[in-house]
Amino acid sequence: MPSKKAPLIETIDLCKSYFNEELETPVLFDINLTIQEGEFLSIMGPSGSGKSTLMHILGFLDNPTSGKFLFRGDRTKSLNDDELARIRATRVSFVFQAFNLLPRTSVLDNVMLPLLYHPTIPASERVERAMHAIATVGLTERATYFTNQLSGGQQQRVAIARALVTEPDIIFADEPTGNLDSTSGIQVMDALQQLHDDMGRTIVLVTHEEATARHAERIIHLKDGRIASDSKKFKRVRSNGKGKLK
Amino acid sequence: MLLRDTIHTARKALSTNKNRSALTMLGVIIGVGSVVLMTSVGASMEGLILGQISSIGAKSMIIFPGQQEGSQGTVTAGFDSLTFEDVDALSRLKTVTSIGPGMFVDIATAIYGREETEPRVIGTVPNYFKNRDMPAALGRTLDDRDILGAKHVAVIGSEIASDLFQFENPVGKRIKLGDLTYTVVGVLEPIGTQFFQNADEFVFIPLSTARSVTGQKYLNMVSLQSVGDFDLAESDVKSLLRQRHGIVNPKDDSDKDDFIVRTSKQANDILGSVSLGLTAFITTIAAISLIVGGIGIMNIMLVAVTERTREIGLRKAVGARKADIMLQFLIEAILLTVIAGIIGVILGIAISGLTAAIVNKFLDTYDFAVSVPAIFLALIMAVVTGIVFGIYPARQASKLSPMTALRYE
Ligand SMILES: Nc1ncnc2c1ncn2[C@@H]1O[C@H](COP(=O)(O)OP(=O)(O)O)[C@@H](O)[C@H]1O
Ligand SMILES: [Mg+2]
Repeated sequence: MPSKKAPLIETIDLCKSYFNEELETPVLFDINLTIQEGEFLSIMGPSGSGKSTLMHILGFLDNPTSGKFLFRGDRTKSLNDDELARIRATRVSFVFQAFNLLPRTSVLDNVMLPLLYHPTIPASERVERAMHAIATVGLTERATYFTNQLSGGQQQRVAIARALVTEPDIIFADEPTGNLDSTSGIQVMDALQQLHDDMGRTIVLVTHEEATARHAERIIHLKDGRIASDSKKFKRVRSNGKGKLK
Repeated sequence: MLLRDTIHTARKALSTNKNRSALTMLGVIIGVGSVVLMTSVGASMEGLILGQISSIGAKSMIIFPGQQEGSQGTVTAGFDSLTFEDVDALSRLKTVTSIGPGMFVDIATAIYGREETEPRVIGTVPNYFKNRDMPAALGRTLDDRDILGAKHVAVIGSEIASDLFQFENPVGKRIKLGDLTYTVVGVLEPIGTQFFQNADEFVFIPLSTARSVTGQKYLNMVSLQSVGDFDLAESDVKSLLRQRHGIVNPKDDSDKDDFIVRTSKQANDILGSVSLGLTAFITTIAAISLIVGGIGIMNIMLVAVTERTREIGLRKAVGARKADIMLQFLIEAILLTVIAGIIGVILGIAISGLTAAIVNKFLDTYDFAVSVPAIFLALIMAVVTGIVFGIYPARQASKLSPMTALRYE
């Protein structure tokens, strides 16, 4: 059934609760969200509204409690741990607020890390691919530095290179500028923007900053675990009214 | 993930945390090192004992006066239970030959010119040299004419020769043993220690001469050889002596006799039980130290899992499977133990070499020896330790969900 037309990601009535010692904490309610290939999407919302939780589910780091989650039209519910790991290795990538780089390890080794777990990219191509990704974020000069010798902005760009190196279908960035000063933040956002504009990558950006969110073409707002607004629906309505826009 | 990559990753993780790695290895280094050291000492001791024992040929036995509790029990030295008449009686037995009695002569000094040394003087007969396989390096050993004439001649051990004569040829020279002067007729080949006495410090004079000098009527040893069946000869000797000494001992209890018969068979039994005891002792030490080392490894690996929770989460987030994480931590543990094992082996060999060098200064038959199977066993044990005690932390690490691990502070 999955066709070329199937959206990259589709959720239907997706819910998520955390369970701590029998205590249920519902976090996401009836999320219906469709993400097409090539989109640059921002998820906004106040702290605790469930942005990270949603992103982790969409990125195969966590499982939904109920509802459907389709990736390229395939139901993902039945995937076991190893299949999830394989999707994480090949299809999706993350950029975290806290960078999550390996300390006392070179930039190159950090960027090559996902390639170690990639099932098809041969070992002989690792360095070349990693250097290419490092060049994309403008850190070629720093490739042999240890990550703890870099500034915050540089570290986050290393994380972007790492997210890029496997050429995934989609890159998730969870508040990537949250730990950065504004100048570094702009550099990091420029790098992400470039991935989308020049390389056509699908990007899901989680942020609570208006200015950051504006890089994206589409913004959805989460509030208390529900989608409060989705600019795409809004745009559609408007474009219908004005005739074809683009 | 390729095994090569996993090993590479594990190696990097170890070298990134050098202090922790070093501490972890310490237990295993000590464990493996002590196994190698102990087995090496064991092998050297065995060589030492073997050297003592091989001084009795397969057909030889030696009779001492005295008493022994059990076949390998404590020995109480006797003094006067072995007489010249016993020797005459023994020489009439058909099952033994080459009777070589010996008598200790209490002489404190041997003097040549201005050189002086402390010998151990034994009065004996030609057979003794044959039975104990002590050929002359220079000159000759004692002969029948020496005995018949009760001549004042001496055959000296190699150390006595070098003490008194340095580079001179001792044969034909005259030395003073106590108050009397003896002509050296021969120098023995170096022998080393036998029955834990330095045989190279011996000076042999004719038994007849010793008897007239000391007036002693009893003997301190009799060496002899069996003709035909050895066990038969041994029982003949024992029953003859019991009969002559009025001992009733049908059950062959060594503590009822007033003499001790040493054979190479007994000596081999002693060697067997000594090395068995040594092996048990070493195995115990090895087991204890490897368990201690293993628990150390497990502890530190568990700490490593906690310390590196975020790293594990990240690896999983970028696609590591359970098996990848599990293998990485397991290989880390195995690498640690293998490296520690190799260091332990090297240290163990070095220390036992040093020990041998030092002990050899006092006991020249103690030679450096290593047990190659023990080294391999120690290394295998180290790897097994790594696997056994690495599995639990590795499993803990692999079970972490990427989310929990990434959120871990
Ligand atoms: N592992 C967890 N167990 C229980 N509650 C959690 C867990 N993770 C997140 N939460 C709760 O879920 C809610 C949403 O968290 P999160 O998705 O991190 O929000 P956001 O990223 O929008 O700040 C919060 O109330 C948070 O406390
Ligand atoms: Mg968040």
